[in-house]
Amino acid sequence: MLLTPPRPLLRAESPGTCPAGPADEGTGRELLALLRGTTAARPRFDPGLAGGLRAWLEDAAYGVVARRGEDAPSLVLGPRRLLDTDEEGPRRAASRRSPRSEERAGTEAEPGLEARLVHALFRQLVHTGAVGDPLADALDALQASGGAVSARAVAALPVAAREVLAASLARQVANLRMVVPRLVPGWMPRTDDHVAIPLAGGRVVLQGTFDLLVGVPRPGTASLCALGLSTGGPWPRERRTLHYLALLETLRSGTPPFRLALIESTSRRYGVEDVREEHLRALASHIVAWLSADGRSHTEGAARA
Amino acid sequence: MLDRLTDALNAPVPAPDPATWRASLDEAAATLARLAVRRAGAGRFRVTDHDVRMAFSGRADDGDSAPFAWTARTARRALGLSAVRLLATGAARSPADAVRARLEESARWVRDGNPCASLLDRWLAALPAAGRAAVGAEAVTWATRLWCALDWGALGAAPVIGRDRWWDSPHSALLALRGRADVRTARAALVVLSGPRRDSVRAELALVTLVDALRQREQAAPGRVVGWWPDSGHLVRVEPEPAVLTLAAEAVALVLAGAAPTLRPAA
Repeated sequence: MLLTPPRPLLRAESPGTCPAGPADEGTGRELLALLRGTTAARPRFDPGLAGGLRAWLEDAAYGVVARRGEDAPSLVLGPRRLLDTDEEGPRRAASRRSPRSEERAGTEAEPGLEARLVHALFRQLVHTGAVGDPLADALDALQASGGAVSARAVAALPVAAREVLAASLARQVANLRMVVPRLVPGWMPRTDDHVAIPLAGGRVVLQGTFDLLVGVPRPGTASLCALGLSTGGPWPRERRTLHYLALLETLRSGTPPFRLALIESTSRRYGVEDVREEHLRALASHIVAWLSADGRSHTEGAARA
Repeated sequence: MLDRLTDALNAPVPAPDPATWRASLDEAAATLARLAVRRAGAGRFRVTDHDVRMAFSGRADDGDSAPFAWTARTARRALGLSAVRLLATGAARSPADAVRARLEESARWVRDGNPCASLLDRWLAALPAAGRAAVGAEAVTWATRLWCALDWGALGAAPVIGRDRWWDSPHSALLALRGRADVRTARAALVVLSGPRRDSVRAELALVTLVDALRQREQAAPGRVVGWWPDSGHLVRVEPEPAVLTLAAEAVALVLAGAAPTLRPAA
């Protein structure tokens, strides 16, 4: 695969250092310029790469089927399950005990809900360029997306907890306004693009969702950019999640995205990097290892559960 | 994907032996006639690909499941197809523009009391702006995936986008079959699939072939049906073979065997 050399870039700012601004105050121009790069240099790739990666994963998946049995229900794996490492467990537990999370204890109506709300606001920002009252808009979006139960859970929160949640959403939207690029419709921006790659005849499924994909697929050329939204997860894991999604896109269409961007809504941190063959191979290798060795305990655990 | 899917729709369709085809079609029609007579008086049945899928998975949609409700997910196909229609005719330049135009049209119809306004239009009109944006975002993704997956210029004259076909049983006004296709060309029908790969998918697609064959009885066999999962890029082709008619008729029988009388509410 011939891909342009990586040009990793990281812009980090302390959370809350910039005041919230109107939608047109932040431009996301720098991120946009980094995503575009030189338009003439869209990389081509080795057409055999996707087939090779798939064959590698298929072998490992058939090993799982051999252990679990032909009739076992499909093993559906997403980035959270596949990419969590043993070292990250204690770190995440520590982050759960951080002063910031203690300050917000009791404000979460259900686990992951705040991330879903931020995600809904991100989609709105991408497609309309504007967000009004962040909490109200996020709840309206959640309800229209079939999340009425979650929306009611937020409505049932104590006033103080709702205020903390509203303030957190407002802060994150202000950050997103500053960094999320304004994408012209011709770039075909689409959010929540779900990928599911069946292996071993569908008995193992690798799945994930692109927060934002940009670009028109072109046969034989890496022509897509993927942008991920992190709502506060460990940066390295979020970055690996993007690499994982790039691998899934390679398996789906035969071509990886050529560039990845990661935005953190709790700060204005973002990073842009080119997809490299090493990223894809590393992820494939990790999944193969998970499925063949580490995965044994995971799948057995899942079977017991 | 662009080339693979377009090629699958454009490739020459092998014509079945006319006599065998005719015999299989007569047999399928006879099976449906028996089913219609047996079920007469039991209620109204509209058999769709969804019902076939449920029947094969052993989960009859017997009314115990949650009732249908409009959400961003259930609305995305209808809005997405409208958007792709606008793109194909050149009335919109991007999926986002097309979906926005469709949402504006929807609001206008409801506001003006236009009889074209559907239940979906009225649901959309009642949503707050952020809710409508969420629905639009989902439809943009759906439409973009379909729009980018095909070489539209290579599909021949004016492909038909998003027209489901119905076959009403001549033996009972209570039985109807639906053949759902998202894009139809002179040679083939494309069905956008969702959910996991499953054993029932050939039967689901065979229903499209059966409906087309029953509607055009005196003509040649219908075209190929191509099922496509945008999530994975996988394709399934169902050629117009006599065995496909048998498979579809058996699938309908399976649905009716496990169905409660209110399989689908009457429109």
